[in-house]
Amino acid sequence: MIQDDIRTLEADACARIGAAATLEQLEAIRVEALGRKGVLAQISKEMGKLAPEERAQAGKLLNAAKQLLEEAFERRKREFDESRLAARLDAEWLDLTLPAPGPRPGSLHPITQIQMEIEDLFVSLGFMVLDGPEVETEYHNFDALNIPRDHPARDAQDTFWLTDGNLLRTHTSPVQVRGMERFRPPLRMIAPGRVFRNESVDASHEHTFYQIEGMMIDHDVSVAHLLYFMKTLLREVFRRDVSLRLRPGFFPFVEPGFELDVQCFICGGAGCPVCKQSGWVEQLGCGLVNPNVLRTSGIDPEQWSGFAFGLGLTRLVMMRYGVEDIRLLQSGDLRFLRQF
Amino acid sequence: MKFSYNWLREYVDGLDISPAKLETLITMKTAECEGIEEVGAYLGEACAARVEAVEPIANSHNVKARVETGPSGAKTVVCGAPNCRVGVVTVYVPLGRKVIQGIESDGMLASGAELGINRDDSAIIEIQNQASLDRCKPDSVIEIDNKSINHRPDLWGHFGMAREVAAISRQNLRDPVKLDLLPAGPAPVKIEIADFDLCPRFSAIVFENVKIAPSPLWLQYRLSAIGLNPINNIVDLTNSIMAELAQPMHAYDRDKLTGSTIFVRAAKAGERMMALNDEEYTLKPSNLVIADAAGPIGIAGVIGGQGTAISDQTTNVVFESANFHAASVRRTSMAIKLRTDASMRFEKAQDPVNTVRGLARVVELMREVSPGARLVGGLGDQKRDLPALPQVELSVDWVARKLGRAVGVAEIRDILESLGFGVRENGPKALVVTIPSWRATKDISLKDDLVEEVGRMVGYDSIVPQAPAVLDTVPPQDDSRAFHREARAMFTAQGFTEVHNYSFVSDDLARKFGFDPDDHVRVANPIASDQNLLRMSLVPEIYGNITENRKHFERFRLFEIGREIHKRPHGLPLEVTHLVASIYSKEEGSADLFELKRAAECLMPGAEACPTAARAYEHPARSAEILWRGERVGRIFELHPNLVDGRAALLDLDLDLVQKLRPRVKTYTPLRRYPSSQFDLSVIAGIRELAADLRTKVKDFAGDLLESIEYLRQYSGPPLQENTKSVSFRLTVGSPERTLSSDEVGAIRARIIEGMRGLGYELRV
Repeated sequence: MIQDDIRTLEADACARIGAAATLEQLEAIRVEALGRKGVLAQISKEMGKLAPEERAQAGKLLNAAKQLLEEAFERRKREFDESRLAARLDAEWLDLTLPAPGPRPGSLHPITQIQMEIEDLFVSLGFMVLDGPEVETEYHNFDALNIPRDHPARDAQDTFWLTDGNLLRTHTSPVQVRGMERFRPPLRMIAPGRVFRNESVDASHEHTFYQIEGMMIDHDVSVAHLLYFMKTLLREVFRRDVSLRLRPGFFPFVEPGFELDVQCFICGGAGCPVCKQSGWVEQLGCGLVNPNVLRTSGIDPEQWSGFAFGLGLTRLVMMRYGVEDIRLLQSGDLRFLRQF
Repeated sequence: MKFSYNWLREYVDGLDISPAKLETLITMKTAECEGIEEVGAYLGEACAARVEAVEPIANSHNVKARVETGPSGAKTVVCGAPNCRVGVVTVYVPLGRKVIQGIESDGMLASGAELGINRDDSAIIEIQNQASLDRCKPDSVIEIDNKSINHRPDLWGHFGMAREVAAISRQNLRDPVKLDLLPAGPAPVKIEIADFDLCPRFSAIVFENVKIAPSPLWLQYRLSAIGLNPINNIVDLTNSIMAELAQPMHAYDRDKLTGSTIFVRAAKAGERMMALNDEEYTLKPSNLVIADAAGPIGIAGVIGGQGTAISDQTTNVVFESANFHAASVRRTSMAIKLRTDASMRFEKAQDPVNTVRGLARVVELMREVSPGARLVGGLGDQKRDLPALPQVELSVDWVARKLGRAVGVAEIRDILESLGFGVRENGPKALVVTIPSWRATKDISLKDDLVEEVGRMVGYDSIVPQAPAVLDTVPPQDDSRAFHREARAMFTAQGFTEVHNYSFVSDDLARKFGFDPDDHVRVANPIASDQNLLRMSLVPEIYGNITENRKHFERFRLFEIGREIHKRPHGLPLEVTHLVASIYSKEEGSADLFELKRAAECLMPGAEACPTAARAYEHPARSAEILWRGERVGRIFELHPNLVDGRAALLDLDLDLVQKLRPRVKTYTPLRRYPSSQFDLSVIAGIRELAADLRTKVKDFAGDLLESIEYLRQYSGPPLQENTKSVSFRLTVGSPERTLSSDEVGAIRARIIEGMRGLGYELRV
């Protein structure tokens, strides 16, 4: 009886599907039962011999069996897929506590960092950032800044002279002169850079250090404007409100010239060892541009006036981070530099 | 420069500001003070005392002395001084009772050093009577930073500072100089000045019957307080007038002068002089000297000669009070490497009016320090015409414009007059200001100089900060700065830490890296012999960084952006900004070179390494030039293994050139609308053939439809023959106008294969 054959096949195939141990076995069973030349196909072929009403009944039975087996195969296959995926995922276990390979970011030199901060601040205030040579002429470093030969002010800036008669700039101020030569007023500029003084090196003295020079020339620039920019600069650098004071200071390229002090952060002005009991810490030199300097650079001091200032970046870095030995800054020692 | 508060007070009537307050005021308005030193503390309660009785103390060099102090009565003190004997009048200081060697000592007898009067600590001081101590009181000494008075010749004496103090405190200034004391009549010593530019004025007076002796205590004390060493009455007198009027003076023993003329002239070449400091100086014609008929008796403005110096036997004295050219004194002082109290003052440009003022003080003070001495003849005074006092016009508006605050005309006038300026009104809000001689030599010549005088006296703290108007233009910015920032950001992101190295290298280091020291710019006065050249490359110092840091780290990355300095035949040297980066690893391998190459490509997309002859310090088989946009922009190499343990890969880029080559604007190409095709090819080549060369060859055969060619991998080993390798590329071809047919793609592929075979390459396909 064909119906019996179908039932037997169905029961038999179901059992074998359940017993299949691998996906390959399962596939073999599927081909055997449901393939084009499989058992079910054979039975289907034989159905032609049946009487029409029997054939209809057997056809129904056959389709039901086919559907049942296909579902069983799918189910079983899913089981295999799932356990295979689970096994793969399990095998892919990772110890995420292991360190990640590859380099970590390095760091910028602390002087570069503070220089960038100050550049950004002044750019936001409408200043240009200018650059000048490290080897300078005597004219730009001294003469054009109202420091003639044999002026005692040259003592304060022990100079490295070169055998060709030029010198290593002792300050960034010559960039003022170059700025005035290149651009006409109104002019707002800063010039950060490396400067040199012929000094023996110890924990607090270096022959190579960094400054930032600033200059503004316009109609009617006054001490009041200078004060505004200095207060803004130091508030941003120290990231806090600052009290300033100007007092007379002598720099031949400014008149009047000032030393600018900041009220000591440590003691708040009461006096402590850091500020040598004065309550104030000397921060930078500044002043109104000396008319002789303007005139030397072809700017009419009756029409224009300006201020200029020079700030020691190296000293600022030492203050900000409490660096006790200035030599560390140019040591190239990564134990030091990586901390910034 | 030290200033005695008591001394200043002699010129400022009614000064009642405390020394501490005065120090702050001077700092805020005149010059930077560096602190206050209290001197003569014992003098407050000290009094004259006569030793009445002395008893020895057993087993001690000390004695028990009974002294009579007058108002405080008799006291018993233990004293160790060798001159503690009956009848001596000395100084008693009530210090409280103390038991010394079993004897109750009530106070002490003091030495000159203990009192601060002089430096003698070998004995108790011997004095005349209580009156000897009259002008010796505890004092506060204010120290001023010399740098802050470089421009103020007048502030190198107490009277000049007193003028400031009087202006600050709004008190009257008392001038100690009485010019009518100067003697009239023919001068006993003739003065001949060869060049009035170098010596605008030379004044002298002569005394006879001088007795050399210690100065009165008040004078010794005054000099000691400001750090000068009392010597004898004549030398102390000249020093004291220098410290008072800023006028350096010198005293000669007239009997040791040859002839009766003093010459001021250039030194003769090779002329020698033994100076007061026991040094012999050989002089040049650029040095100005004071000379008598026999030769130099002083180096002008710097130091006197030993041959004509005051000694204990001196009785006839010539006092010199002269004015010398500032730069000339400074040059001589620098040339002979001797700075003295005199040269320091002269190089600030002293006031020629002051010479005779100093001599007037000599006449007055000689009466006190050498009572029997007599003037001989009149004042000798050679000079060229003194310059007229300069006048400067100043408007009230100019002051307001510069300071950023208004100051009234009356206040301006008041301030300037208190500082010794002459002020005349010249219309509404306009002044004509006469500059006093002591400010006219160098200090003040512009109206802006006067703005400072007004500003400092009204006080800079009275100026309110003010923001200027906003600009109506955006200032131009320097591209290189933005590019350097980008390079820095890129390299730090890739793990490199920035270092700063010095601009100096030594001959040896330069040579080690194949440079000729003579090609460098040289420092004429280097700080050390190994820092005498300006670097032409950043590599030598980066090498130093590597050798130092490898002591602490197994691997590291660092870089520097700095300037190479190259000699040029004319003008300033050429400064070229370079970036040098290095990756160091203790382990063997070549991976770091490729890491470094990758970093370079991040900065310069499409940069190529082009193998080149290695330099002496480079690994001979691991060195290449970096080419970008058709230019050699730098080198990439490994340090020669002889130079370092481990592997150090280095990249050296000319950043200025790289920046110049960078495309200014980015260009956009529309996306392709038709799909591309890809195929891989492997070329079999000799083991040392360059992948880049093979790539170029393949590319050349590929033709116009090639979109891109990408290196995939290389392989050597079986089944390939020995000394060959297979290099694989992936090619992408396509057209912007259509989709290529498989025949077209096949034709390109076939053309390449055929072309390469024509060049002798087998292909694995």
